[in-house]
Amino acid sequence: MDVGVLLQVVLAGLSTGAVLGLVGLGFSLVAGTSRVLPLAHGDVVVAAVFTGVLVVLGRTPVAQDLGALDSAGFVVVVLLAGAVLSGLIALVVVRPYRDQPLGWVAGAVAAGLLLRAVLGLLLPGQGYAVPDPLHLDALATDGLLHLPGGTTLPVRTLGVLVLGLGVGIAAERLLVRGRFGRSLRAVADDPDAAALCGVDPARVLLLAFVAAGVLAGLAGLLDAPGHAVSVDDGVVLGLEGIAAAVLGGLGSLRGALLGGLALGVAQQAAVHAGGAALQDVVPLAVLVGLLALRPQGVRR
Amino acid sequence: MSAVDIAQALYLLLAALGLSLAVSWAGLPVLGGGAFLAVGAYGTALLGPGGAGWPLGLAVLASVLLGAVVGFVVAVGASRLDGPPLALATWALARMVQRLLLAYPGTFGGVDGLTRPAPAHLVTRTFGLDLALTPVVHVGVALALCLLVIGALLRAARGPGGLDLAALREGPEIARMLGIPVARRRRTVLAATGAVIALAGAGHVLLLGLVEPSDVSPLVSLQLFVAVLLGGTARWWGPVVGVAVLTALPPVADALARAVDADVERSRGVLTALLLLAVVVLRGPVGRRLARPGPGPAPAVRPPDPGVAAAGDTVLVRHDVHVRYDGVVALDGAHIELCKGEVHALIGPNGSGKTTLLKELAKDPHAVRTPQQTVVMPRLAADRQVALGARGGGGRRLAVLRHLLATPSSRLDDPRVRAALQATGLTHVTGADPQRLTAGDQRLLQVARAVATGAPALLLDEPAAGMTADERTRLRAVLRHLAARGTGVLLVEHDMRLVGEVADRVTVLHQGRVLACGTPDQVRRDPAVRTAYLGTLAG
Repeated sequence: MDVGVLLQVVLAGLSTGAVLGLVGLGFSLVAGTSRVLPLAHGDVVVAAVFTGVLVVLGRTPVAQDLGALDSAGFVVVVLLAGAVLSGLIALVVVRPYRDQPLGWVAGAVAAGLLLRAVLGLLLPGQGYAVPDPLHLDALATDGLLHLPGGTTLPVRTLGVLVLGLGVGIAAERLLVRGRFGRSLRAVADDPDAAALCGVDPARVLLLAFVAAGVLAGLAGLLDAPGHAVSVDDGVVLGLEGIAAAVLGGLGSLRGALLGGLALGVAQQAAVHAGGAALQDVVPLAVLVGLLALRPQGVRR
Repeated sequence: MSAVDIAQALYLLLAALGLSLAVSWAGLPVLGGGAFLAVGAYGTALLGPGGAGWPLGLAVLASVLLGAVVGFVVAVGASRLDGPPLALATWALARMVQRLLLAYPGTFGGVDGLTRPAPAHLVTRTFGLDLALTPVVHVGVALALCLLVIGALLRAARGPGGLDLAALREGPEIARMLGIPVARRRRTVLAATGAVIALAGAGHVLLLGLVEPSDVSPLVSLQLFVAVLLGGTARWWGPVVGVAVLTALPPVADALARAVDADVERSRGVLTALLLLAVVVLRGPVGRRLARPGPGPAPAVRPPDPGVAAAGDTVLVRHDVHVRYDGVVALDGAHIELCKGEVHALIGPNGSGKTTLLKELAKDPHAVRTPQQTVVMPRLAADRQVALGARGGGGRRLAVLRHLLATPSSRLDDPRVRAALQATGLTHVTGADPQRLTAGDQRLLQVARAVATGAPALLLDEPAAGMTADERTRLRAVLRHLAARGTGVLLVEHDMRLVGEVADRVTVLHQGRVLACGTPDQVRRDPAVRTAYLGTLAG
């Protein structure tokens, strides 16, 4: 394989991986704080994006360039929708059943199904082109990144990688250090002891879900514009995010970011070698294999 | 409803019954029922007539076996997973199977699935049988299979199989302590679940002559899960009610879809999601309605029997035990010996290694440990918990199968249970809801579970914790009675008065080493012990 193709696969993989890392980060954040697995997290990503589409473009969206105002509005609506949806899930289906795994598993799965079904009623098409409010294509005049050997890569791939990884690292620093990070870890270690120290575990749980929701919205903004998006994409995206989180050790935010990058590269390599049919199978196989062999993650 | 509809609903019920074995009887949250359906349906379609051309019966049998193998493999893979991660893994499995079906259209026929015109006749030359496979025959076969599974579940629930399932569901940890091979039982349960669901999938293909990916989709997995959850824990009628509701779902969803001019699949999704949420919300109230009675009055405390057993034979001995947890030295060359017919107290300050030593000793096949925390196992009546101990202590090979087939030797081992209840003064709790026992009776019940195993060495971790003065007196009588029967009792205890009254011998642990060993009086006078417990000034 020549250097250009190798670079193409690796860069595309890292770019996908940065998005998966953001999804996995949110998953790991909630799972580490509350021992609850937010099984509808991927659906929150897709639902946030489509909420933005519905608000800005309406029920019959066409791919178009957004103006500055629409772009800003789109970004705000998507991030807000991620936060609100994730927070609602925390309040309605997770909080009442925290101590009954069967209860919150069923509740979270039902929430994801409900999101998909309601969105599907509003947007009955097979797939939708979502505009890029961040205009990452504008990074190069022809929208392409020229690699050695004559291969090219859409320049937004690089933009997604830089932005996704940057926000991911910043979020990780913010959530590990600082006052909120301390309460997060306190609640994760022992909710009762944290409550005795004046930290409200219910509030921290809600905030963890909300923070994960904002990151989910951002992941959606980065991921959606590249391809046709269907309202059902959330399930596999969620499972990919979970695979990233489990790969890095559930509860470790840095691990989730790294897990996402590794998974993204593995996915692109598999697609390069075995065809597009493997795109969805690889992360699922990684997840099933990991849960069977090393449920505690690769690093520990 | 046509005969085809009824037969289809009954095959769905068969799948739900298979899933209920894992979910509501064994407490394993399996979200991947569709994967097993796919194995049965696609297996039959690919192997049977129109596919590889095997005889129909052989193709069905092979698919069912394959379903069992997949269930077994899932259980092996998920052996380290409990609860939610298992749900996650099986959910991913259902998705992965769906993606694989779509990824290889050459083999699985893509979105259109596989068409297999159903054979009108099933001819077996061996038995000279010629059976027309009409929908009505399907109804009969499916109904018979459902009744067979329900009958087997009900019969197994009353015997050793029911104890195994309850153990998996209510307290795998306790079951392990009592000597029940939890991992092996899980593999059996998931293999059975896989086989039954695969059989339902095979029936589906033979009935309709067609299988599509949407017949085995993750949505179907979820619907099966809803159907099973609807009836709550371990009730045979749960899947029946659930499938009845699910069968009513499509017409309602179609009407709804027509009314709002929407996609049918979507409106089914909305209704399934709402149903799932409703089931989750309603679980609590339904469960409370079906609660068990409380215990009767406690019997009078029996005076301890005079000692008759020949004391002196060693039942358990360990020398030079070392255990480290992540750099913390818990045991640093401790040694201990437990004899037949003695009550041996293990004392020491917090963190001195008492529980660690107990856990080490529990690895011996002759020993059974009780946990420090009370584990109530809320859904298992008190005497059944004791029966669980008896089952863990060893039973016949293939006891579940013998019981199912009602062989003469298949009755539950009642004498051991009664003896354990009598030895622990708990005859009044038979049939009682364990949650309604006093804290002291719950502690004694843990002892009774261990006694029923028949293990010659009992390792009791703070059995007196949370007991009133009266209950302590009862515990003392129970411990002396057990010793008099010849059991070796090793007891971790902080109450020095109780230790002084009940123990023949005391071992003092300090920082992972044995500080002293002797009669309670010898130990009490030991200067090293006084220093460790009271500090140098008081010593």
